[in-house]
Amino acid sequence: MTKTTTKEIGTLILALIGVGIVGYLVMQTLGGQGHAAFNTTNLGVHWGLPIVVYDYFLLTSTGLAMIAALAILFGSETFRPIVKRAAWLALAGLAGGVVVLMLELGHPLRALVAIPTSFAFESPLYWKAMTIGVYVLALLILIARMLKADWDAKALRGHAILILVLAMFITAAAGVVYGSNSFRPFWASGDIPVAFIFESLLGGLAFIYFFTYLAYAFDAEAMPEGVKRLFNGALPGLFALAIFVHLLFVLARMVNGLYGNVEGLQVWQHMVTSPLFLAEIFIGLLLPLILMLLAGTRTRPWAQALAALLVMNALLISRYEYIIGGQLVPMFKGTWAPDLLSYMPSTTEWLLLLLAILVSNAINAFGELTLRLGRER
Amino acid sequence: MAKWGMVIDLDKCTGCQACTTACTMENNRLPGENWQDVLFYTEGTYPNVSMKWFPRPCMHCEHPSCVSVCPTKATYKDPNGGFVLVDWNKCIGCKYCQVACPYGVRFYMDERAVIQPDIRTVFPSNNDRLWDPPYKGPQDDPSRGIGIQPHGVVSKCTFCYHKVSKAPAGAVDLDEDIRELKEHVPACVRVCPPKARFFGDLDHPDSYVNKLIADKRGVRLKDETGNKPQVYYLSGGAAAAVPALRSMTDSDKS
Ligand code: SF4
Ligand code: SF4
Ligand code: SF4
Repeated sequence: MTKTTTKEIGTLILALIGVGIVGYLVMQTLGGQGHAAFNTTNLGVHWGLPIVVYDYFLLTSTGLAMIAALAILFGSETFRPIVKRAAWLALAGLAGGVVVLMLELGHPLRALVAIPTSFAFESPLYWKAMTIGVYVLALLILIARMLKADWDAKALRGHAILILVLAMFITAAAGVVYGSNSFRPFWASGDIPVAFIFESLLGGLAFIYFFTYLAYAFDAEAMPEGVKRLFNGALPGLFALAIFVHLLFVLARMVNGLYGNVEGLQVWQHMVTSPLFLAEIFIGLLLPLILMLLAGTRTRPWAQALAALLVMNALLISRYEYIIGGQLVPMFKGTWAPDLLSYMPSTTEWLLLLLAILVSNAINAFGELTLRLGRER
Repeated sequence: MAKWGMVIDLDKCTGCQACTTACTMENNRLPGENWQDVLFYTEGTYPNVSMKWFPRPCMHCEHPSCVSVCPTKATYKDPNGGFVLVDWNKCIGCKYCQVACPYGVRFYMDERAVIQPDIRTVFPSNNDRLWDPPYKGPQDDPSRGIGIQPHGVVSKCTFCYHKVSKAPAGAVDLDEDIRELKEHVPACVRVCPPKARFFGDLDHPDSYVNKLIADKRGVRLKDETGNKPQVYYLSGGAAAAVPALRSMTDSDKS
């Protein structure tokens, strides 16, 4: 057994133990209290942290899938070392999110039958859910087709186009779920689906950086030459660009929100001064942007791994503030409801975040162990 | 077929909450789950403060956003009468409809009890319903969201489907003063002491609700959303008015 294999088995076992412990705790509280264990209420915050987690993992997954597809289509041999890992991570991330969604829904098992048989063509959620089914299948087949070490990118081009289209569609549909609520000005905007696509791509890049380093236990020397070349060549520039574009979208929404008078936008007045938002902008986005722009740091493994970790956190905050922020002004609840609702996730809700992370890591470690992700050459 | 609608005269409404209580009793709602509520608003700052109130059931919209977003078609609009109903056998509790209703009138009751003691633990249920109250209305139709609410689904005002849908064919105005129709009048309309609520066929040119809407220039709440409520409000200039804002508090307070 090689040193790497031992490490992979260790990670897998640790993640599985974590899933067991956290899963047990979550089942205990949800089994005993049901959704009373969440801090969501009928006053207005209907979708709490579990939905934030689900959407975060889903959008990271589609971002990774888009990157895998783009790498097959345009990446030539340079991007080859990240394709399989991105595709597998896309599945692992999605699995973490879906587990949390299942624990959030009132009737998760019914959903598996009720959605596909509803033909509810008017609902963005119907399209989102149905497309996710096809997307998972397409990713599984793609991975199966890349099992041989000498898989041929040219032969996978059609498949890559399909995955790219599916991933973009799911991401855009997720944007429409929020963006089409015209009476929630904090959410409503035609550019939300586009912003979501860029946000996904950024998440995909951050995850690829971080999980590749993780696969080599943050030992850059151990990484194959191909990966090193990519990480120090085209990727930091792309990463910086993606951070910049996401930052633009967030800042544009913020400026709009601060100047706008429509009821619902006042959430921005509170948000811009919150430590969470400031951390997202300055530590989560600006700092990584600088790290990826400066010649002295952009090729340093520690800087890349740190930037990736910071961006991963910033995107989670960004998702949280967007989803929760749009629900903070109560709809017709009268003066007895506060002007602005306050919402803090409950312990169970935080545990669901942990569960998603552990499930995704367990599946990722399993892939690292069995699929030799990114090590075919 | 009728298109049922409600008219609420804000000049007459005294904010007594009889409608809210009647709805809760008629439909076995949990405390805090007010399908119908009278919302109270304060405006201005001391000493120039006024208090306003605003009764608000589900609007049974002509173009209900709750229906279009539902991924399972559990929420649907009944073409016979225009009731917007929830099929509890199909609802998966995704809460998208709650998020997508501009009027905040839908309820997911698995959450922490708003009012203590938690009545669900006082009268626990031994089936899939949320509780087992000692008095239960005789009506139980989960495919229309009528009866004791099950776990994991969303509920809302049914326009008293169980009463209204059984009105004699051809009935135009469901008025509690018409003896043979009074059992078919929605509970909130029937009990209103100053008779501020009216119920009738919006599609019938001679219905009393249409006359009221025309005579007193009835308006619909947040018409700009395109939901086109089937509930109209009358406010002729006396104290009560349709609130311009959904929170209607001093928004500069931030
Ligand atoms: S008021 Fe809300 S719940 Fe009622 S029909 Fe309209 S959108 Fe649906
Ligand atoms: S909670 Fe139920 S009724 Fe509402 S959108 Fe979801 S499935 Fe439809
Ligand atoms: S119509 Fe019936 S269900 Fe609707 S608010 Fe009135 S009493 Fe309640």
